[in-house]
Amino acid sequence: MIQLVSFYIFASIVIASAAMVIFARNPVHSVLWLIVAFFNAAGLMVLIGAEFIAMLLVIVYVGAVAVLFLFVVMMLDIDFAELRAGFVKNVPLGLLLAVVLAAELVLGIGAYQAGAVALGTPEAGAATVSAAVPNIEAIGGLLYSKYVFMFETAGLILLVAMVGAIVLTHRKSHGTRGQSISSQVQRRPEDATRNVNQPVGQGIEL
Amino acid sequence: MTSFFQSLGMSYEAAWFTATIAGILLIALPLMLAVALIIYAERKLWAAFALRRGPNVVGPFGVLQSFADGLKVFLQETIIPSASNRGLFLIAPIITFTVALMAWAVIPFADGVVLSNINVGLLYILAISSLGVYGVVIAGWASNSKYPFYSAMRAAAQMISYEVSIGFILICIVLWAGTFNVGGIVEGQRSHIFGFINAYAFNPLLFPIAIMFLISSMAETARAPFDLTEAESELVAGYQTEYSSMAFALFWLGEYANVLLMCALNAILFWGGYLPPVDWAPLYAVPGIIWFFAKILLMFFVFAWVKATVPRYRYDQLMRLGWKVFLPISLFWVFLVSGYLMFTGHFA
Amino acid sequence: MTDLSQYLPILLFLVVALALSSAFVFLPMGVSRLTGTYKPTEAKLAEYECGFPAFEDSRSQFDVRFYLVAILFIIFDLEAAFLFPWAVSLGETGWIGWGTMMLFLFELVIGFIYAWKVGALEWE
Repeated sequence: MIQLVSFYIFASIVIASAAMVIFARNPVHSVLWLIVAFFNAAGLMVLIGAEFIAMLLVIVYVGAVAVLFLFVVMMLDIDFAELRAGFVKNVPLGLLLAVVLAAELVLGIGAYQAGAVALGTPEAGAATVSAAVPNIEAIGGLLYSKYVFMFETAGLILLVAMVGAIVLTHRKSHGTRGQSISSQVQRRPEDATRNVNQPVGQGIEL
Repeated sequence: MTSFFQSLGMSYEAAWFTATIAGILLIALPLMLAVALIIYAERKLWAAFALRRGPNVVGPFGVLQSFADGLKVFLQETIIPSASNRGLFLIAPIITFTVALMAWAVIPFADGVVLSNINVGLLYILAISSLGVYGVVIAGWASNSKYPFYSAMRAAAQMISYEVSIGFILICIVLWAGTFNVGGIVEGQRSHIFGFINAYAFNPLLFPIAIMFLISSMAETARAPFDLTEAESELVAGYQTEYSSMAFALFWLGEYANVLLMCALNAILFWGGYLPPVDWAPLYAVPGIIWFFAKILLMFFVFAWVKATVPRYRYDQLMRLGWKVFLPISLFWVFLVSGYLMFTGHFA
Repeated sequence: MTDLSQYLPILLFLVVALALSSAFVFLPMGVSRLTGTYKPTEAKLAEYECGFPAFEDSRSQFDVRFYLVAILFIIFDLEAAFLFPWAVSLGETGWIGWGTMMLFLFELVIGFIYAWKVGALEWE
């Protein structure tokens, strides 16, 4: 009963906020609605018992990806009038993308209905997991034994992403001097100062 | 507690509901009281460090100072700048305070005394605390003013930088405890060292990361020496510049509730939570909640001590510490701890 | 199976915490109208600046470095996300699981060293 009610609450908030992502005029508001949608999607995940996925959704999507989105939309000087002017020009492209995404959805659901997919593993068929194990341990037990290859590929993709991001955004800066902590710490009073027994009435050689 | 309400003649559902609401209020309201008292205690401590007297006018020894401040801001006018984004401007303090309260749902106060005993409790805390950045960013952006905006961007970059190493540190603890359940982590520390000391911090392999976690938690809550977000010489009052009345006070309450949460996390992860320091039967006569609070207060003293004595970092130094010192060390420690545990057959 | 009854208190807590903090924000607004402290003026509602009207837009363009920090954070956060299930299932996966994770970490350490050498972690 409570589960059912919470499901409808979460689901309707997800749909409503997803719609608001599109309809909000200010891109910052769009990102904030997106965060609401992610958060409620995490609620839905909890309802089907996938607590680890729910927490990951919040940690990765809300805590990291959405922060990047916010950085981007907050810091770019976006001229809204210019953006709207480009709307008509880009409608065909947008429609094409929408059709492709819809086709992928249908394909995905169709493939799911057709049966389990073997992901490059010797024996086909979905793995069965006993219900008593917390699902975080169950995921770990499969990911690091049966799906090792997939996992290492994910690592390589992350590596490529990291290198790519650095290549695209990093610029050498000029005219600023960095701090070398180790040379500061290693500096001793003897290197920097010297004691002089100064005779009266004479100048000093520096 | 459910059975107590059932004994009053309620049905199970009603009793459960009443007990849960009572439990929530028993966490939220004393937490706010604790924040008020801890602000007073901290001001007294700083005063002592600087050989001043601190608040001493309102009430005996000035104990009521925080309450007087609270009443004052409550009666003040809420100023919403005309250039600001009204809705978001008011939502920001609500988010900050709600998030600061929410994480306490999984903290065990004594053996079995926890509002919500979930399997992934530690991840829940990590998830909730990663939401904290939004209160700050939205406040800075919605103010539509220069200094709050700069401060919000600094705060966001600072918080996410230190979250990385906090994640790796938590993994070292989880490797040892074998569970993400917060209560399970506390129980894992029972007679951990020489069979009688109840704390991970005395483990030579875990002691360095205990120190790193303490420093990271100061950076994560933007406390001195890492309070770059409200560096008054550069940014006026940071993201709170445009705020007034209770909206301003909520940021304060949220900040101190977060500080207390970080103290509690330090106590739970490394100092044995609600367990007495050594596994000796007479010490168990003292309720676990007393031990827990004593440890939180001790950690809070360290926080106040650091704030009173250490000068503020520069922003580039802060980022360097997070990315070039803590991140590689904590990553290496994951390798070290997991390798050690594999060799000693901890998981067998 | 996940015990959902443990999550209901969290949902209730969310509701209570939201109610409490909204009350804290909106009650004083009402109170100040009743007590007469609510007197907005144009200068009071202007954005903060040191004694003169602000003369530039507050939402200026920002340093690209902030994006880089956010992107690096996402990558390391994902790495940590892979470590979470690994940490609790090592008993099951044994040396094979340990070795795979070390290989994975090695891949990312390469990226980290690259970032360090290129100077992406510098902040001046």
